[in-house]
Amino acid sequence: MSGETPSVRVKGLGNSLWVTIAPDAPIEAVQSELEKTFEPLKHMAQVVRVVLNAGDDKNGGRYHQFRSYLEKTFGLKEIVSPGEYAASQEASRTTAPPAPTVVVRHKETETRKNNSTFRSTSDTVLMAGRIRSGQRITAKKHLIIMGDVNPGCELVAGGDILIIGSLQGIAAAGQPNNPDAIILSLDFRPTQVKIAGLVAAGLPQGSQGRFEFAHIENDVIVVDEYQAANPFRRMPWPIIR
Amino acid sequence: MQGRIIVISSGKGGVGKTTATASIGAALALAGKKVVVVDMDIGLRNLDVVMGLENRIVFNIVDVIRNKCKLQQATIKSRRIDNLYLIPASQSDNKDAITPQDMVRVSKKLRAEFDFILMDCPAGIERGFENAIAAADEAVVVCTPEISAVRDADRVIGLLYAKEITSRLLINRIVPIMVERGDMLSHQDVVDVLSIDLVGLVQADEDVVVSTNTGIPLVMQENSKAGQAFTRIAMRLNGHPDLPIEVPRAPKSLWGRIASKIGFGK
Repeated sequence: MSGETPSVRVKGLGNSLWVTIAPDAPIEAVQSELEKTFEPLKHMAQVVRVVLNAGDDKNGGRYHQFRSYLEKTFGLKEIVSPGEYAASQEASRTTAPPAPTVVVRHKETETRKNNSTFRSTSDTVLMAGRIRSGQRITAKKHLIIMGDVNPGCELVAGGDILIIGSLQGIAAAGQPNNPDAIILSLDFRPTQVKIAGLVAAGLPQGSQGRFEFAHIENDVIVVDEYQAANPFRRMPWPIIR
Repeated sequence: MQGRIIVISSGKGGVGKTTATASIGAALALAGKKVVVVDMDIGLRNLDVVMGLENRIVFNIVDVIRNKCKLQQATIKSRRIDNLYLIPASQSDNKDAITPQDMVRVSKKLRAEFDFILMDCPAGIERGFENAIAAADEAVVVCTPEISAVRDADRVIGLLYAKEITSRLLINRIVPIMVERGDMLSHQDVVDVLSIDLVGLVQADEDVVVSTNTGIPLVMQENSKAGQAFTRIAMRLNGHPDLPIEVPRAPKSLWGRIASKIGFGK
């Protein structure tokens, strides 16, 4: 009979896979059939829910055998019997619909495979750690880095760049056209700074940095000591940048 | 036996990767470990020259990967040190002759046979680099106290970090007199930028040139400051991680020594 009907049949069912195993098929044949189905899926198989119908709901011997085989060999996490599946479907129909979830935009981050480019789709990026040569960090709006920025790396932000540490790389704030942006660092000695469309070269290597910030004044990039200038002192009311 | 694969890398060329590989390999072998050094600089091999074995090369790593020979046939035994072996690179191919997967496959065999496998990485961060780090467990990043070398080392450390390989820093070719005068970056300046653990400091030493030209391992030359530093680095890699790091100092002049004897100066 196993020659006529296949020993394993797989069918998609909502967000699950319904796997039917012929009740009289030999175990080896079923296992090789299952391997053909699940092996190409690799890690994707681990997130799929499998409804396993081994055809013997009464004692469940074959069901448990294949279930443990699937769990061990392919790392499947969720395997249910048809009875359990029907019960869960029933339960989900009777319970209230789930509350609307809040979409957290800050999680939408993407790193390239060599880890050298970091691009975030959230507005403000806050990072901790050392930024090394060859890395490029892009933020839609503000970029805050707690750590040092080594020479040879590139920071690009739509808004301000604040570095709680030393800045020795290239920093481009207010890209492409926000002249109000500032670049601030506790140890300000960048290779180059850009704000909106303006570019300024940094001081030669080796000079000692101070707690300074760069901003645009009369169409020129100016670097001032932050505490002496205190640029936001005169603002009567806090605003969102 | 499961050997450790250590890749010796730098990004920039000419900072002393090959010398470091040969010296650390020799020191580990003298300490009784079975060591193989693998030249990954395919097309521009010179680890064989530094080790004085260029006239014994019959097969190379590319032949092993292409199954033209067995691993044992390409492994050349050192003339001077027992337990030290070399797998040379091919001089007639280029870096694309092998792939990272090939290296993972060969490394499995190497791990079973040797205690330490040192990979001499080529300069650059392209295919040759990828091949060399493919199977590595850890890395030693060689850097000289120059801004360009530090910049490249920084990039390499980032790439190694992305591959989840821990790297340690070897600062090579320190000239203590220049550091004291302020004309050269101190090791502390380099560590400040790269912020990884140090594995050792090696000072510039004329004996390195002699060793490279004669093929006598640096660590076998008595009184060689660099040789002693490499021996200590090998000890740190070989189960003595807490061995204190010695900072190279300029030798004091006669008057300086007299002054320090009677309590003046440092």
